[in-house]
Formats: sequence, structure tokens, C-alpha cells
Amino acid sequence: MREVAIIGIGGTQFGKHTDRSIRDIAIEACLKAIRDANIKPKDIQIAYAGNAVQWEWGQGLSIGQAVLREIGVTQIPITRVENACATGSCAFREAWYKIATGACDIALAFGVEQMTVADSSKMLTIVTGRQFAEREGDMGLSPPALFALLARRHMEEFETTKEQLAMVAVKNRKYGALNPDAQLRNAVTLEEVLNERMICDPLTLSQCCPRGDGAAAAVLMTKELAKRYTSTPVYVAASVQVSGTYPDDQSFTFFDTDVRAAKAAYEMAGLGPEDLDLAEVHDCFSPAELVHYEDLGFCKKGEGGRFIEEGLSDIGGKIPVNTSGGLLSKGHVLGATGVSQIIEVVRQLRGQAGERQVEGAKVALQHNAGGFMHTDTGTCVIHILKR
Amino acid sequence: MISMSTRKGKFIEEGWFKDTDEGIMLMGSRCEACKKVFFPKKEVCPECFDGELIEVPLSKQGRLHSYTLSVMGIPGMETPYAIGFIELPEGIKLFSILTDCKPWDEVLKVDMDMEMVIEKIRQDESGNEIVSYQFRPVNKEIK
Repeated sequence: MREVAIIGIGGTQFGKHTDRSIRDIAIEACLKAIRDANIKPKDIQIAYAGNAVQWEWGQGLSIGQAVLREIGVTQIPITRVENACATGSCAFREAWYKIATGACDIALAFGVEQMTVADSSKMLTIVTGRQFAEREGDMGLSPPALFALLARRHMEEFETTKEQLAMVAVKNRKYGALNPDAQLRNAVTLEEVLNERMICDPLTLSQCCPRGDGAAAAVLMTKELAKRYTSTPVYVAASVQVSGTYPDDQSFTFFDTDVRAAKAAYEMAGLGPEDLDLAEVHDCFSPAELVHYEDLGFCKKGEGGRFIEEGLSDIGGKIPVNTSGGLLSKGHVLGATGVSQIIEVVRQLRGQAGERQVEGAKVALQHNAGGFMHTDTGTCVIHILKR
Repeated sequence: MISMSTRKGKFIEEGWFKDTDEGIMLMGSRCEACKKVFFPKKEVCPECFDGELIEVPLSKQGRLHSYTLSVMGIPGMETPYAIGFIELPEGIKLFSILTDCKPWDEVLKVDMDMEMVIEKIRQDESGNEIVSYQFRPVNKEIK
């Protein structure tokens, strides 16, 4: 495998972009990434477009070509990628894989989603698929409900408290307030989070990510080439993608996908959790973040609640987590989420994260989970990046 | 005894249920080679691919692995409603709506014994009753 560098990043603000087409949203991100990389659109040899769902008819097929044609990227292989909430990370990983294996030298990955145009009463059906009742949406299960079930079992087995769960929202919204690209830019207090509207007990409103519109893009190239274009390359030390095993025989307090992907990623990078300076993890709902701490080896099994309570996932702590504000602040923009996590990590490793900079950050982990299925996620993607 | 044809309403998935001597039962499939039981029924054994799959009724008793009260609900369901994972003796974690458990935060406990009932879970867009399995605490007086 060849070493691959990220040399360009660019994203839109996440939020409501209903006055623009999905194509225009994606173009903004792609142009920012291409300019940041200091390349020309025609230098790109392969491109991947992450886009999970047509939330409104008319967003169109061949979204990759529709976007890239406008900026002069034509003729090359362009492919749309879908993997639910991990769509963006999978698009990025495909671009990495093509360069790492020698199929091309320069690639673009972007993710885009325009979700706020969707009829909210149909969203759950779109996500779970009405034809498969056993996917449980038809019987009353929703994404927040699944994570509430995860939380309840975790509380029972490990004495995790609802206050510790709420602290995830407090921490992430504190950092979201410092991120101009985030959708929710106001900090919230523990008391506010605990007393908000209940969604699925014990998860209150701020502990559930909002949906949104937006795009994020990254330009990747070989390590050798990257030296010619940038003085601040960020290298991909590991890229791992796994699918779920959906276990029936284990306690629902973890994600099997997380554990397997993390093990493989640390092995590939030759690094461990003790080497990480920060991490962006998939905090779609507050219990997810606490469980990811454990699954990714930031702390021992069952200690996720204490990890946040002791400030170990704050800037200045052991491993600062979700300095971007996470999905809880940015909103979860399915196709764009994974690439936007990578953008935050690259900014941190370049020393460009402004007020939320983790001083001297050298190694970081990005974790994106996609598509809940029974007791597992459908997909988990982990990248370890280093400068 | 109520059979599927005399039961009012529409079953959420006809193929999940079957009339038996013990009434309407929720069905799974068991692999004759590796003995693993699956729900819903499978075409082939996803575990070993070798064995013949036999249709088997699933246990009507299980343990409550986890639960929540869903205040925000899916369309067509009266909110709030309680849901959970039930561990069946066959080694299946079955997602289920929970019934007869008010007040839920006093009644429901992790690992408590639960039993299956087959009842209306919601209405569809045309107002038809949708029927499926649900679980309720054992020993709860029947309404």
C-alpha cells in the first residue's frame, strides 16, 4: 500500500440550505477543497460522491457527475457511494483505497445531503425501509429509541447516570459554539439539557442530533506528490471499514462493529489509543459517544460515564472528543458527516482549529457509524490521521 | 380459540405468525445442523449455510434486556409507548412493544420476566388495526 496524504479540505456550513439546489451545496465544498489543495479540477483522476438518500424526488441520480461537470471534472470514473450515516467516510475511504493501491494518484471525495426538504413523517420509513418490518421501524423503533435502549442497559450494568449522558450534549455544544460551520451555535447547561423535552427516555432533545443540509469535500494524493503541493500534508495512517454482526448473544452495551474496526485500525497504524491527541466520533445520540469511548479503547468497558464526568474527553483532558461540536452541534448531514469529521481532524492537525485548537495535535482518530440494524450498526469506518 | 382468520385486524407480517394447537404463535426457523434459531424465518442458515431450516414456534416467555419510553413516536402509534428488547430462551433478542406496564418507570425492570401477547399495535393510514406480538410483565393481572 502506498502512503496517502490529505492536501485539501472544504465544507459548507451545516444547517438549512433550502434556497439552493443540492448540486450548488456540493459545488461550494468541492471548490473550497480543490482551492485548498492548490490543484486544478482536471488534475483529479477518480472521484467519489457520498449521498445517502433522495429526501425529495428531483435531487437526481448521478449526483457526482451533476456536481463535478459544473466545475470541469469530466471523463474520469465518478461513483456515488451510499452507506447510511457512514456514507461520507465510505466515499473518502474509496478515494484513499484507489490511491493506496496505485489505481490513481489524485482523487476527490465529497459528501452532500439536503435533508430539510424531506417530509418529516416519511423520514423514518425512508431510513428503515418499509419492506423489512423486522428492521423494527414499523413496530415503533426509531433511531433515538435504539440508543435509549443502549443507554438503559448501560445504566443498569455500569451505573451510568442520566447526568453523564447529558454531559455529552453540554460538552459538544460548548465546542459547537466555537465552530462557525456548526448548525447549533449556543452552549447549553446540564440543567437545561436534563429539563428539556423528552424524546426517548432518558434522551432529551439536545441529546439527539438534528438533521441538516450541507456538504464536505477532501482532496487526496500520494505522499510523494503531496510534497509538491503543500507544506501541511496530513497522512492516512489507517483506514478500516467493517459491517455488522448484529449479535443476539451479547449484552446491548456496545457495538461489535466499533470494537472490530478499532482493533484493525490501531493495528494498521501501529498506534494505540494512548497515542491519540484527539478524536471525532459518531455522537448521533449521547449514549453513542460514551459507548464509543469504551469500544475504541479510550477507557475500560463500563467507564464511559466517568470518562466524560472527569473531563477526560474535554480539551485539556486525556483524549479531546468532538472538538467540532460533533453531530449534536453540527447536525447529522448523512452524506457529508464523515467527510466533515475528517475536515475537523485535518484542521486540528494543521493547527488551524482556532479557539478550539488542541495544542500540538499530531495523531487523531475519526469514527463514523452507519445504519442501525438490530443490535449493531450496519457499517463502521475508522480513520487514523497523522501529520 | 382465536385463529389468524378470525382475528380482527391485519397482521403486521402474515408470514411471521401461524395457527397452532396452542393458538397463534410467532414463528422462527431453526437450522437442523447448527441448531441456531432465527427470527424472522430465513431462506438459508446465515450461520452455517449447511442445515435444513425447520419452521418452529418461538417461546412466549422471555426476559426484558432493556426498555425505554418513546415519547416521540412513529406515525400511527399513540404516544408515549414503551418498547424493549426481549431475550428469548432460543437466544434471540426480539424487539418488542411493551404493554400492560403502566406506570412504566415503576413497573419495568431490566431482566424481569415477560410474556408475549398478540394484539393491536397501531393503525395504518387507512385506519386498519395492525396486529403484532407484544410483551407484558408476567403475573400482571389480565385486563
